[in-house]
Amino acid sequence: MIRVVHLFKTLQEQLILDDINLEVPQGELLVILGESGAGKSVLLKHLIGLFKPDSGEVEINSQDITKLSEAELLKVRKKMGYLFQEGALYDFMNVFENLAFPLEEHTTFDDQTIAEKVQEALKTVDLAGVEGKYPSELSGGMRKRVALARALIMDAKILLCDEPTSGLDPIRSRDISDLIRSVSKRYNCTTVITSHDIDNSFRIADRLALLRSGQIIAIGTPAELKSSDNSFIREFFQS
Amino acid sequence: MRTFFDICFTSLQRVGEAIDFLVGVCREIVKGRIRIKEVVKQSYEQGLQSVIIIALTSFASGAVLALQGDVVLSRLGAKEYIAQLVALSLLREMSPVFTAIIFSAKAGARITAELGTMNVNDQILATRTLGVDPIEYLVVPRVIACFLVLPVLTIISEIVGILGGYFVGVYQSNIPGIFYINQTIHAIHYVDFFSGFLKVFFFAVLIGWICCYRGFMTKGGSLGVGKYTTEAVAYSIIFIIVSNTVLTKIILTLWG
Repeated sequence: MIRVVHLFKTLQEQLILDDINLEVPQGELLVILGESGAGKSVLLKHLIGLFKPDSGEVEINSQDITKLSEAELLKVRKKMGYLFQEGALYDFMNVFENLAFPLEEHTTFDDQTIAEKVQEALKTVDLAGVEGKYPSELSGGMRKRVALARALIMDAKILLCDEPTSGLDPIRSRDISDLIRSVSKRYNCTTVITSHDIDNSFRIADRLALLRSGQIIAIGTPAELKSSDNSFIREFFQS
Repeated sequence: MRTFFDICFTSLQRVGEAIDFLVGVCREIVKGRIRIKEVVKQSYEQGLQSVIIIALTSFASGAVLALQGDVVLSRLGAKEYIAQLVALSLLREMSPVFTAIIFSAKAGARITAELGTMNVNDQILATRTLGVDPIEYLVVPRVIACFLVLPVLTIISEIVGILGGYFVGVYQSNIPGIFYINQTIHAIHYVDFFSGFLKVFFFAVLIGWICCYRGFMTKGGSLGVGKYTTEAVAYSIIFIIVSNTVLTKIILTLWG
């Protein structure tokens, strides 16, 4: 479970997050929507401890991670998966090595077990057979799938995805959105996604949050937000 | 408009961050968090990348020293001292400094460009999200590799440089080969070797530190990678030359 309490963050003398309060129960898929510069990515980075807030709390499974040192955070992150916009795969490693990396770092599995886990993870994201390829040899959509597999390979119970559909065509966007929803539900992950992609967000989210100028101005199920009377919400979703 | 005070404060802050970065690296090394496999890989890549160009420039430097020595020492009637001139110049100053400069331009640039590209593509951030300390995984092996490789390259540079001087001494100045070798061996005292060699370890840490730190600070996409890489090399060379003056003075004062 993720819980954010009175979170404030200022960057370069600009208030980016302005009293964010949020709760995401175990197994829920929440999509945070908002305009560019609304603070979505900054909020997501707080959820994995990449940013320290000015004030406020970020609880991951009842543990306030804002109080932890970097060494302690590294331990917490082992059970979390983070999907970067461009995948952020190591370009000096092939797909197999990218996926094996977290397992080699944090487990005592032998080579055979690691190979099996990598195959299984690639099968989960429908990408069997690309183990020997380097990220530069993959398409944008394939890179995101591999990155998703890497994010989940340590059996992450919390999955954070930063604009997973950015830069993809509508068909690939739909595919990756469906894939995130399917793996999230299969492994009962608490999932938070930031996105601009309204159609796919409405399709896959259990709940949606709308972020504007560092504040959550609306949160609810897709049906609740669609029926909102708020003029900004209506305008945003109709854009 | 930024005031003089602002500029001083920002500069001091950056120096503080760079020192903090180095302290972080040293802390990991002291704790023994050293990935031997990565160190070997980095050492191989850094050494292989620089060895040919260092050998080539050292050979040329040794040869030029001998050519100039031939002219100048002939005027004084002391041509037989060419071997001493070449060996002592190379060992005490030229090889350590030139090798460090070339190493920073080759291996140092590579380090900054690699880490800088990783940084702008979020790969360093990804390392943290995977629960791995990027200082331990990416920086420590590179700094240790610099520390191991640069002294070896310096010794190669000294040997090849002396060889360059030998060829000129023997074939241009008509000094007998055995005599040249004897003169070289007798000219070199341990103080000559170590007064130059000790500086190399300092230069190695300097290059590793500056180049890794600049790589970690890189921002601004591909343009930023280019900018930070050239800055890293420029800073490395400036600091090598300036610190060499100070180190030489200290060594000469203590050791002669």
